[in-house]
Amino acid sequence: MKFSMTRRSLLAGSAAALMTPAILRAQEADIAIGSLTPNTGGGGPFGPNITASHKRVADAVNAAGGVLGRQIRLYQENSETNPETAVRAADKLISVNKVSAIIGTFSSSVTLGIMPKCQSANIIQMCTSSSADIPIADEKGLVFNFQPLSPIWGRAIADLVLSRGLENYALMALNNDFTRSMMDGFIERVGTEALVQDPFYYNAGQSSYRSEVTQLIEKSPEAVFIPSYVTDFTAVYKELYRQGYEGAVITISLSTGDQFKSTVGAAADGVIHGFPVPALSSPAYKEYLTEAGLEDTGSVQHPFGTAGRDQMSVLLLAMEKAGTTDSAAVAQAIWDVTTGEGKKTVYNVADGLAAIRAGEEINYSGASGSIEFDAEGGVLGRDFQLSEIQDGKDVVIQRLEY
Amino acid sequence: MSAYLISMGTYVGFFMILALALNLQWGIAGMVNFGIAGFYAMGAYVSGLLVAKLGVPVGLAIPAACVAGWVLGGAVALLSVRLREDFLAIVTLGVGEVIRLIVLNEDQITEGPRGLRIDGRPFGDLIGPELYPLFYLLLVAVCVLITYLVCERIRRAPMGRTLRAIREDDVVAEVLGKNVLMHRVLTFAIGGFFMGLAGALYAHYVQNISPEVFMPVVAMFIWMSVIVGGAGNNRGILIGAGTVMIFLEGTRFIGDFTDVLDAEKMSAMRIILIGFLLIVTLRLRPRGLLPEPKFNVKKT
Repeated sequence: MKFSMTRRSLLAGSAAALMTPAILRAQEADIAIGSLTPNTGGGGPFGPNITASHKRVADAVNAAGGVLGRQIRLYQENSETNPETAVRAADKLISVNKVSAIIGTFSSSVTLGIMPKCQSANIIQMCTSSSADIPIADEKGLVFNFQPLSPIWGRAIADLVLSRGLENYALMALNNDFTRSMMDGFIERVGTEALVQDPFYYNAGQSSYRSEVTQLIEKSPEAVFIPSYVTDFTAVYKELYRQGYEGAVITISLSTGDQFKSTVGAAADGVIHGFPVPALSSPAYKEYLTEAGLEDTGSVQHPFGTAGRDQMSVLLLAMEKAGTTDSAAVAQAIWDVTTGEGKKTVYNVADGLAAIRAGEEINYSGASGSIEFDAEGGVLGRDFQLSEIQDGKDVVIQRLEY
Repeated sequence: MSAYLISMGTYVGFFMILALALNLQWGIAGMVNFGIAGFYAMGAYVSGLLVAKLGVPVGLAIPAACVAGWVLGGAVALLSVRLREDFLAIVTLGVGEVIRLIVLNEDQITEGPRGLRIDGRPFGDLIGPELYPLFYLLLVAVCVLITYLVCERIRRAPMGRTLRAIREDDVVAEVLGKNVLMHRVLTFAIGGFFMGLAGALYAHYVQNISPEVFMPVVAMFIWMSVIVGGAGNNRGILIGAGTVMIFLEGTRFIGDFTDVLDAEKMSAMRIILIGFLLIVTLRLRPRGLLPEPKFNVKKT
């Protein structure tokens, strides 16, 4: 008897816990938008910047009277960079918060993982993911990617590296979709004849990368290219250093942030890294720095935070343009406000809203890039930049518009 | 809201099946299994691949996933014949990781890190999209019920008593003439069978699986469910799985009502809170919410 009482009260308590939000749900008049960012886990170094950008844009628009005469209600969830958790968070955003868009997903597995749910609920997705499968899986044309697909990264980095006159390479990549397809793009440009051996993949989270590194530099290549994430690249690089490799080490800039530099110290000098960067001279990027309270250091800051600003801005501008939150109309309006010649260029959401209300055609140019979309919702026109670490600082050696 | 509750109910169902299977293996028979994520992945990928790559009907693929889990469970138990329980923990943890790494690296078959898309769903053609989530919840509920009845039947049967005897002291059980090895292998295989079932149901529900889903943390959620619910008590396990899901998901709503913390701090706070709730639960109910009933002989 004692047990059944406990059980009953527990069930009642849990039911009550789940029911409470229904009572306090947001007002119907608000436009609900979901932000699903990697605040912990593999994307942890980048998620908080995206989260903060989303909130800043939403707050600014609300303070100026909202969109379509309605306030923005932003619901922020943590994807934990894990598709299993992210799907449940997306479930909550879609079914409970009734969001019209889920923006800010980072890892491709998360973007793809929540896509079946988003597509069946007709919800716009905005991401910075790189998998070439994203446009294929997006059957309804509701996904907009604010980052170039990773084969493009590989090709751009290869083009930048080739102009340095390096002739032979050894390649190994972290085994995930992002880094693998980047390696394919790189090989496409340098050609298989420039490789001293077959490229291979390594798995994340190993305690040692000794055998992988030994294999990588066995034939003394002039340069090694290692598409990776920061945690594993740090371990891989330490091993390269320990084994006395003297050639050029090339990777992506995501792996060589402050965390890497402070861990490796002076040994980091000479590492070459590249990635798509905001146009540093763009007014939108400068505005972003002010909004985020950053100093203009001349080097790239918040590569994903800038994309977060652009996601929220583009979404809100498109809603205003479409005159509705209906996903098909908003998706069409996203092209209208970002892509196309002969329109008024705007660098922030406030100017954009004012121009749309004045009946003008606009082209939003963002903090992360000029933001033009191809027919599949992929971003075009990003700058790529190659840097070298010298005295613990990134020194830009080359830029390229792609 | 009701759509969300239906969806969470479905997830609780997956947790319940996994937790009941773990309870059979560990709660009743005392065999540690840290490789739950591997069994879960096995079920998900066997069923997913059969449907997505070979066009096998879902109705055959799900049973095939169960059989795969059964075989894997039996094989792991046989492998560890000579091992003590604590070593079995390491072996199962290893098996879980091996399966995940195979799925990750054999990308010609499994699509590797790109993730496997599965369009086929049980009765997907017959039931409209409006009613489908509710149908799937019912399907999962029926599977939970079957798992529960089987586990409960084993627990009450002579086999359950033997398993508990093996759990307490396998030498004594052996001396009493019980076939310890056969019981262990069989129990692990049955547990594997249900974990395979849970994996297959999960795969056809989310329709997009990738190796990152099957990280060892999944095993931790299931262990939490069993420990919070009360190891050895199948009804407790059902409550434990529900409680853990309420902790995991219920804490999400805090952020919707408070602006005290920004979203970044809130997401870290949520995970801390989940840990805190678990500690409080176990401090108040050290043997779980519904402890295993003491075995007692009826006095006449």
